Amino acid sequence: MSQPLVELRHVDRSFKQGRVMIPVLQDINLTVAPNEILCLVGESGCGKTTTGKIIVGLLSQSAGDVLYQGRPVGEFRGKERSAYRRALQIVHQDPFASLNSAHTIGQILSYPLKRHKMVHSRAELRRRIWELLTLVDLTPPGDVVNKFPHQLSGGQRQRVSIARALTVEPKLIVADEAVSMVDVSIRVSLLKMMHRLRDQLNLAIVFITHDLALAKYFAWEGRIGVMYLGRMVELGPTPDVIVNPAHPYTRALISAIPEADPELTRRKERMILRSEDIPSLTEIPAGCAFHPRCPFFVPGLCDSRVPPLADAEGFRHQVACLPLTQGDALREYGDAFREEQS
Amino acid sequence: MGIDHAIGFGAAASPTGLIIGILCGLIPLVLGLRKRFVRPALLGFAACVFGGAAAGIWGGALMIVLTTAVVISYAYVDRQDPFTSRASIDQVSFEETRFDFFIRQMAALGRSTRAATRALVRNKAGFIGFLGLLFFFLMIVFGPLFIEYDGESHMERRRPGASSLYQGPTREFPLGLDWAGRDVLSHVVYGGKNLILVSAEAGLLTTIVAVALGSLAGLLGGVVDQVFSALSNFILTVPSFPLLLVLASVITFDNMTYLALLFAALYWPTLMRAVRAQVFSLRERDYVQAAIALDLGMFHIIFREVLPNMISYIVVNMIFTIRSAMYNLVGLVFLGMVPIQEPDWGVMIYFGRAKGAIFNPNAASMLISPIIAIALFQLFLVLFTRSLEEIFNPRLRQGL
Repeated sequence: MSQPLVELRHVDRSFKQGRVMIPVLQDINLTVAPNEILCLVGESGCGKTTTGKIIVGLLSQSAGDVLYQGRPVGEFRGKERSAYRRALQIVHQDPFASLNSAHTIGQILSYPLKRHKMVHSRAELRRRIWELLTLVDLTPPGDVVNKFPHQLSGGQRQRVSIARALTVEPKLIVADEAVSMVDVSIRVSLLKMMHRLRDQLNLAIVFITHDLALAKYFAWEGRIGVMYLGRMVELGPTPDVIVNPAHPYTRALISAIPEADPELTRRKERMILRSEDIPSLTEIPAGCAFHPRCPFFVPGLCDSRVPPLADAEGFRHQVACLPLTQGDALREYGDAFREEQS
Repeated sequence: MGIDHAIGFGAAASPTGLIIGILCGLIPLVLGLRKRFVRPALLGFAACVFGGAAAGIWGGALMIVLTTAVVISYAYVDRQDPFTSRASIDQVSFEETRFDFFIRQMAALGRSTRAATRALVRNKAGFIGFLGLLFFFLMIVFGPLFIEYDGESHMERRRPGASSLYQGPTREFPLGLDWAGRDVLSHVVYGGKNLILVSAEAGLLTTIVAVALGSLAGLLGGVVDQVFSALSNFILTVPSFPLLLVLASVITFDNMTYLALLFAALYWPTLMRAVRAQVFSLRERDYVQAAIALDLGMFHIIFREVLPNMISYIVVNMIFTIRSAMYNLVGLVFLGMVPIQEPDWGVMIYFGRAKGAIFNPNAASMLISPIIAIALFQLFLVLFTRSLEEIFNPRLRQGL
């Protein structure tokens, strides 16, 4: 494998809330290769967005290393730092908040182009804006270039945000829930466009979502990372993770995806968790954070040691589950939930 | 001298200005008529004549730019802008001459002028405020053409048997006579200019200080923020008007600009804290984050991302500061703490009190006239802020 574009090594991040430190990310190890699609999924509050922001350098890590092209990002100074900044771009979730309402679309796109001397004349600038708008399927470009963000629809704005990220010719784009606030009818075309951009411009895309079905669709050729309470619990090629999920949490998520066919959905076997509630980040359970909810809980093992992300027998991807990585099969804990089901 | 001459405000209406205005107005007029846009051409001509007559060369120049831009924005639609054509990228040429570029920029300026005017007219309360302020402007600039300043005392105007020179409204003197038998109307017409200018100056200075310190505190945070906040807390705890009173009586102001400065020094904390809070919230916005990721630089973030989103807030607050500066000034004058310079609305009230107008029914109009003038001006200012909000907020403004 070629050198990874971005690498996160044992990255922790905590936020201070009053006097309490809240560990939002713990021991995240992650690499993003050039031109790769990596999907981060998880419930809200699991640290997906924080990971995304650390990847693009908008947040700094509390501990651990972030490497860009093999070098720690803290080392970059001056021109190198600017180049590093520009190589990693982010597209935010809320298309209504991510564009400054004081500027027209043309202005929004022209600022980075001018600032970084990506263009050398007015004609070239206008040509480039035209190109970018065509690239994100905002055609004809003349219809949007003089408009203000509030005159566009959500989908159009999201396309403008993507075009803005593309102005600086990045190598990686973090799409932070980029389609979750867009109408379902527009989602697929946005996703297809992002696929096309990835092929055309040799981009790597880190796609952050809470919707596993979306992740499955978007990242089928790439990898999926499943996060739970600030830790990566499963990481591997999408088909493997979806078809043959290892971690109990991933299994629960997949079993909860509704199928298009109502008959199928009704017959589908749902995995019942022992508890519905997500523990608070301030009181993360000892050992495996998932153990209070896990139906395959092994007393004495799961609540004593934090499971590392490791290879497991029978799976082609990595998982953070002690029984699995030790080579045991998962056995159901107690039968309380069985009775409930019947 | 000073600020009023710098902005051409002091050069009250003059025949030279009128000629300048007519000459200026020819540009939009000819341009508009050639392109067959009669209404903007005529309106532009009128605006230029008005601007030139009221404020001489500066007013004329400003109006030329604005009205010509508006005319061009109507005419430009027909021009060949590659972005308005539906051709594909290979078919359009993005090369343009300097002249084309100039025309395109002018058209953009014209479009925003039209949008601003539309926003101004749409809000009824704001438009009433604007008309009111326009009335005061006309009164100050064009009033002297019709009404002569009456500065001498006129003993001969005393009515037989009257105990004082005070008189109620008559046909000859619509607002009556004051304690020295002078025409109150002329004092109302001439008395506003200084008061309004010094208040505006004070409001402007306060806003500049508050915005500069507030944005610095908000963007840099940390120690800078703590120092400025502590300073503002300290000044906020001091009762400002009594302090202003004491300082004003200790220092003699030969120049009213110093008074404006003093006002700014005492009144910046309130607005500074508001600006600071705004900056704190704005800097966490997604588009600011995107600007950081795009490495657009601190300068860009302050002036292009944060400030444009605060500008309506700042302008509205500036208006309110002007309002409070005016009250404070009038208060100081009324208490006789600043040198008495006639004509001035505040001085009129001061003399009303000092010369026994309160006990004389004939003096009612002399006392009430400046009060009404001040109150009306304040009312129009406050109403006008409604329009300002719409003008500066692109979300409220109807785009073209």
